[in-house]
Amino acid sequence: AMAAALCAFSPRDCRFFAISGPDGRLRVWETASSRLQQEYVPSAHLSAACTCLAWAPPGGRPPPSKDGPQRKKRKSEVAEVDKQLDILAIGTAVGSVLLYSTVKGELQSKLYGGHDNKVNCVRWHQDNCCLYSCSDDKHIVEWNTQTCKVKCKWKGDNSSVTSLCISPDGKMLLSAGRTIKLWDLETKEVYRHFTGHATSVSSLMFTTVKPMNENKPFDGITGLYFLSGAIHDRLLSVWYIRSDRKEKNAVMSFTVTDEPTFIDLTVSEVKEEPVKLAVVCRDGQLRLFEHILNGYCKKPLTSNCTIQIATPGNDGDSTPKPVPILAAAFCSDKQSLLLVYGNLLQPIIEKVALNTSESHICLIRDVQKALSLRTDVAVTKVKTPVVNSDTKVLVPGVPGHSTAVKTPSSGKEKKKNKRKPGETEVNIEERLEALDIDVSKVKTPGGLPQTDSFAVLLVQGLESNDAEILNRVLNTRKENVIKNTVARMPIHAVIPLLHEVGKTAFLVLASLMVRWLKSVFTLHASYLSTLPDLIPQLGMLYQLMESRVKTLQKLSRLHGRLFILVTQVSSN
Amino acid sequence: LLCASGDFVKMYSVATEETLRVMGGHADLVTGIQLNPHNHMQLYSSSLDGTIKLWDFMDGIPIKTFTVGSKLLALYALPSSEDSVFVVIPKSGERDTFQLVSVKLTKAAGQDLEAKELSVVLDGVNASPKYIAFGREGEYVASVKEVDLQVYFFKQKQLNRFCVSAVKTKSGNNQFTCIACHPTEDCIATGHADGKIRIWRNFYHKKEYTYSTLHWHHDTVMDVAFSVEGTSLLSGGVESVLVLWHNESDCQKDFLPRLGSPIEYISMASDGTLCCTLHTDNRITIINSNLRFARSIQGLIKSANVKTGLVVDPRTKALVLNGEPGHLQFYCLQSDQQLFSLDIVQRQYIHQAGLNQADLVKVAFSAQGKWLATVEEREDVTDPELQLKLWFYDEEIQSFKLNTSINMPHEDQITDMCFRDMDELEDDSLILVTTGRDCMFKVWVMVEDADPDAQHIVSWSCDFIGSYHNYQPTNCCFSEDGSVLAVSFEETVTVWDSVTWDLKCTFCHPPGKIRKICFGRLTCSKYLIGASDDGFLCCWNLLSCALEWSAYLNVVVLQPDPLSEHIAAVSWLSKESSLFVFKPNEPRPIYIQRNLCREKIQLAAFVPRDEPETIGSEKYLWLRRSQLFFLTDTQELMTLSTKSLQERLTPASKQLAVEESLPVTPFSLLLGKHRRQQSQEDIDFGKLFVHNKCEQDSPAIKELLHTPAHVLPSASFLCPIFINSLLISKENKSAEEVADEVEMESEKTEDDSDEERDVTEMEQEDTSPQELLGETTCKLSKSQEKELRKIRKIDYSWISAF
Repeated sequence: AMAAALCAFSPRDCRFFAISGPDGRLRVWETASSRLQQEYVPSAHLSAACTCLAWAPPGGRPPPSKDGPQRKKRKSEVAEVDKQLDILAIGTAVGSVLLYSTVKGELQSKLYGGHDNKVNCVRWHQDNCCLYSCSDDKHIVEWNTQTCKVKCKWKGDNSSVTSLCISPDGKMLLSAGRTIKLWDLETKEVYRHFTGHATSVSSLMFTTVKPMNENKPFDGITGLYFLSGAIHDRLLSVWYIRSDRKEKNAVMSFTVTDEPTFIDLTVSEVKEEPVKLAVVCRDGQLRLFEHILNGYCKKPLTSNCTIQIATPGNDGDSTPKPVPILAAAFCSDKQSLLLVYGNLLQPIIEKVALNTSESHICLIRDVQKALSLRTDVAVTKVKTPVVNSDTKVLVPGVPGHSTAVKTPSSGKEKKKNKRKPGETEVNIEERLEALDIDVSKVKTPGGLPQTDSFAVLLVQGLESNDAEILNRVLNTRKENVIKNTVARMPIHAVIPLLHEVGKTAFLVLASLMVRWLKSVFTLHASYLSTLPDLIPQLGMLYQLMESRVKTLQKLSRLHGRLFILVTQVSSN
Repeated sequence: LLCASGDFVKMYSVATEETLRVMGGHADLVTGIQLNPHNHMQLYSSSLDGTIKLWDFMDGIPIKTFTVGSKLLALYALPSSEDSVFVVIPKSGERDTFQLVSVKLTKAAGQDLEAKELSVVLDGVNASPKYIAFGREGEYVASVKEVDLQVYFFKQKQLNRFCVSAVKTKSGNNQFTCIACHPTEDCIATGHADGKIRIWRNFYHKKEYTYSTLHWHHDTVMDVAFSVEGTSLLSGGVESVLVLWHNESDCQKDFLPRLGSPIEYISMASDGTLCCTLHTDNRITIINSNLRFARSIQGLIKSANVKTGLVVDPRTKALVLNGEPGHLQFYCLQSDQQLFSLDIVQRQYIHQAGLNQADLVKVAFSAQGKWLATVEEREDVTDPELQLKLWFYDEEIQSFKLNTSINMPHEDQITDMCFRDMDELEDDSLILVTTGRDCMFKVWVMVEDADPDAQHIVSWSCDFIGSYHNYQPTNCCFSEDGSVLAVSFEETVTVWDSVTWDLKCTFCHPPGKIRKICFGRLTCSKYLIGASDDGFLCCWNLLSCALEWSAYLNVVVLQPDPLSEHIAAVSWLSKESSLFVFKPNEPRPIYIQRNLCREKIQLAAFVPRDEPETIGSEKYLWLRRSQLFFLTDTQELMTLSTKSLQERLTPASKQLAVEESLPVTPFSLLLGKHRRQQSQEDIDFGKLFVHNKCEQDSPAIKELLHTPAHVLPSASFLCPIFINSLLISKENKSAEEVADEVEMESEKTEDDSDEERDVTEMEQEDTSPQELLGETTCKLSKSQEKELRKIRKIDYSWISAF
C-alpha cells in the first residue's frame, strides 16, 4: 500500500532520484541525464524489503571539532553538493533503518533496536542529525544518527503509525495513523489532534512556512497549513493549525480521480503566492493544483491541469497505450516539473515546463525507443542522436540550398517571404479544367504522335504537373524532336518548362536537360529578354548551372587521377 | 581511488564515481602521490612547490609537511626504506637534467618539518614518473632515458647501463617511453616509442642480460604495468586499447578496445581486483580484473581547440562545447560532471596522427533548445568539407533527431552562426543565419514540405543570401526582438531588416576590423556593441544610427547576459586578462576585475541560475540572475563567485556526520577482537618495558619514597634529582629505542583509528583504497574557482577615450 514512499528526489536541486524497485534493489538515477548512477542491493533485501526512503536534508549540522584548524584551504563547490545529498535513510520491513551513503556507494550504518515491525515512514530533522521513524508497532522513534542509538521512543497511536512530518521550525512533529497528531518534540506531548480520514494516512506535508496573517506574532506553528492524503482516499485534506484548541475538520480538500501515490508541492512563502501541488495518482496520471490558501473552502477543489503520458501507437496496428507516471517534483524555479515515468526498473526522467493554461495535457512518448537509445549511455555516456533515412539532404544545386545573391545595390524589389512553395500551385479544379481542354486538343490531330503532339503533351504536362507525361517528353534524346517541340510550344509555357527542366536535372541525367535548355535559349531568347522578372525567375536554374560548373574542376582532377591509376594498373 | 589533479589530491569512490574528498594545501601542481607503505591509511604527495605532505586521506587531514626546497617532479615510496622517500628534482646548475634523490623524512614532532637530508641515487633521469620504477622489494631501481636503461642495485651499490641502439630498427625510434618492474621477480618491462615492449632479465650481469620483445602497439606505448602477482602485463597507447599480456608471451593476449581516447597511465589496485587507466581526454576508466569496463570518472573533456565556443543548452542548462573529436559534450555545471556527450559526426575516429578528421566547429541552440544546429568541418589543404546539420529535439523519444543536413552550405569555412532567439510559439519564425568566408551570409528558414500524406514535415532551406561589397563576414547576431540582424563585414557592421532582408544601415569604426558584436538587451536593446581589432569598444545607437560612445579597450571576449542588460567584456592587455562589466546605456563599467587570470581568456558564457541569488554586495548585483564562466587558453573553466571564501567553506564542512556503525557479524567480531587484543598487548608490553627500566635505574626515586618525610631536604633540592631520574640515561638509550618509541606511538594512533572505525574491517578491505601512480603532468581543468575577494577601487581611466 505504501508504494508512494518508495521513491524520493534528492533535496533542493533534485539531482538524483532514488527508487526502490520490487526486486528489493535501490537504484539512484541522475535526473538530468536519466542515467543510472548506482545500484545498491541491501544484504537482506528479500527478507527485509525496503518500505520507505528519505534523503538527508541539505546542509546539516556544524562540523565535528576534530576537523580543527587544518581544514582544507580551498575547496571547489563540487564536494559541497555531493556532501549535502550524501545519506539516504531506508526503512525496512523488519523494523531496522539503513543509512546509505550515495556518495561512497556503501552502507554507512544500520539503526536497529527501535522497532519490531515494519517501518512506515522516516523523516530527517532539518537542523540536527536526528531521524524520526514510525512503524506498525505503534511507536515513533527518535534516532541519534551520530551514535546510531535510539534517543527516544514513544507510543504514537493505538494502531500503526503510518506517516510523519516535521514542522518548518523543527520543533513539532506531525504523526498520523488514523488520526493526525501534532507532537511537541521537546516534551513529546500531543499538542493537537486532527481527525477526518477514514483510512490510514499515507502522506503528510506542510504547505506553508509562515502564517498568512502577518499581524499576529508567530510562535512557529500556529497559522500554518498542512496537507494529508490517505490510502484508498480520493481526497487530499488541508488542515489549519489554530491557536485555540477547538478541533476542527479539514479547512479544504483537493479531489483526485484515484488514490494519490506521490505528492510534491511548492511551499508558498508569500501570501499572494499560490501553493502548487502535483499529485501522482495510482492510475498513472498527474494532477496539478494551484491554489492560494485562505481559510475555509467547502467544495473540494478539482485539478487545474491533468498530465498523462501515452505511447504514439502510430505504426501499424498498435494503439496508443498509457505510460504511468511514477513521480513528479517541482524544480527549484517552480516553473518546471520533473516527471518520472515508465516502469519502475528503468524509469525515464524528463523536465517539462509547467503550463496550467490547458486543463488536459497528453504527452506522447515513445518509451521503447527512448530506452533503446539509452542503453549504451550507461557505460560510456555517449548518446547517439537519431539519423533517419527521411532526413532532408541539401547539396549544392538542390533547390533550397541557396538563393540568388542579393547585394544591397540590387536588392530593390523584394517579394514577400515565400515560406511554402506549394502555395502557388493551382487548385484541383483548375487542373481538371486544363486537363479537359488538353485532352480535347490531343484528340483533334488523331493518328500517330508527331513532333507537334509532343509540344501539346508538354504543355499539358506542365499545366497539370503530371510527372509521367513530363518524364516521357523530357526524356527524349532526339535533338531534332526537342528542337521542333520547343519551336512549337506556346510562349507562355517557356518559363514553366525552364523550371521543370531545372527540377528534373537532379533526377535524371543533366546532359539530357542541356539539350532542352540549349534549344529554349536559341529559340526563345528574344522572349526571355523581354521579361521584367527574368532574374528571379531563372535564378534557380542559374544556381544549378553554377554549382555544377564549380564541381567540373574537381571532377576533371579526379578523372585525371583515376585515368593515370587505371592506365598504370593495366600496363602492369 | 586517489588521483592528483592540479593543486589538489582528489579521492573518488570507485563504486559511485563521486568525488569523496578534495585535499588541498599544495601551492602548486601536485606531481606525485604514493600510499605510505607502512600505513595504508596515509598518503604522501609531492608538489612543484617543493613540499611533501603526508595525509590521512580518510579524513582529509594533512598530518605532516616536509619542505624539501627544490621542485619535486615525481615521488616514490618503498616499504623497505622506512624513513625516506625518493623524489626527482632538477639538478642544480643544469637545465633540463634531473636526478633521483632519496629524502630522509625526520620523525620529529610538529606539522611543518624541514627535510634537508638528500642523497643522490641516480643522475640523469627523466622528469616524468613513468620513466623510473623500483624493483622487487626495493632492491634495485631502474630508470630509462632516451635509449638508455640504468639499473642501480642498492645492496651491491652497482650501476648497470644498457642501451638499445637507436638505428637498429627501420622506424628508427625505439626510445624508451615507460618502465615497470615485476613485483616478485627480477624482471623489467619497458615500453618504446615504436610500439614494442621489451622484457629484460638477468640484468645483474652487465653483458649476459637477455630481453624478449612483445609487439602489438602500432604507435608509442604510453604506459606499462604489471599485475599484482606479476603474471600478466598491461599496456596501453594511442590506440586506446588496453592490452593484457599473459605470461609475457607474445601470443597470449587479451584486449579491451574502444576506450575512447589514448591511454596515458595505467595503475593497478593493491589487491589486484581493479585497474584504472587515465586518458588524455581527462577521464579515468576503472576496469575489472576480468578486463570488463566498470566505471568511468569523467572531467571536462579537453579538446585541442574549443571551436564551438561555450554555448548553454536551454533545456538541460548544461554548458555545451567540443568534447571528443566529433562529439559535443554537455557539461553540468551544478554537479561539475559531464551529463553526456552527443555523437554528431557519427564517423569512426581513427586514432592516428596526421589524419584530417571531421570535427565540430560551430554549435547553436534555438531559444527553447528545440533545434540544434551544428557545423562540422574536415580541413583539407585545397577545399574544406563542410556540413551543416539541423537537429530537432524529439520529445517522443527524448533525443535529437536529424532533420536537415546541408552539404557545403558555404564554399569556405563558416565564421559564425546564430538562431533568431524568439519565443517559439510560432514555429516558422525560426531563422538561422550562417556567415562564411566565401563573403556571403545565408539565411535559412523552415519550410513545410508538400507531402502526399498531408503530414506537416518541416525542413530547412535557404531563404536569402546576402553580401556586402565582397567583404568577408565575421560575426552575426540578432537583436533581442529578432527584427534586426547585424552582420559584421571586416570593418563594417551592417544591419539588416529580418523580414524584407533590406540593408538598413551600416556602422564602422575604421581602421580596426570588427572582432565581436552583440546587441543590448531589455532596456538597452537599441544599442549595438562592437569590439574592434585595434582596441576600441564602440556602442552605436540603432535609433539615431550614430555612435553613442566608444572606449579604448582591447576586447577579446564580448558576452551579453541573456537575462539582464549587462555585458561582460574581457580584455587582454600586457599579459593579463581583465573583466569589465557594463550596461550599454552608460559608458562606465559597473564592475572591473583586473588581473582575472594570467592566461588569456578564450571564451565566456553567462549561465542562467535556477533561482536569482540574493546578493548582499552591490558590486556583484550583475551576477544575480546568471553566472559567468570563462574558459582559458589552457582549458581551465573558471567562474566568478559572489561569496567570500569563508561563506563557501561553511556549507562544505556542514556535512552530516553519521558515524559508521554496522551490526557485528560473527566473523568480523572474531577478527576485530583478535586484532584489538593484539594491539592491546603491544601497548602493554611497551609500557611495562619503560616502567621496569625506570624502576630499576632510579635509586633516587627509591630513596625519595622510602625516606621519612621529616629528614627530606627541601622540595626544590629534590626536584632536579627526581626529574633526572625519570629521564632514560644515555648509555642504554640508543637511537634504535627512540625509533621504537616513535613507532609505538604511531601504532597506537593506528589502533585508535581502528577502534574508531569499529569492526568494519571486512568492509574496508573490499574497497581498500587504490592509488594512481604519479598522475602528475596531467592537469585536470576542473572548474577551479577563482578567488575574487580583493576588489580594487573602480578605475575609470580606461574610458579616457571617452
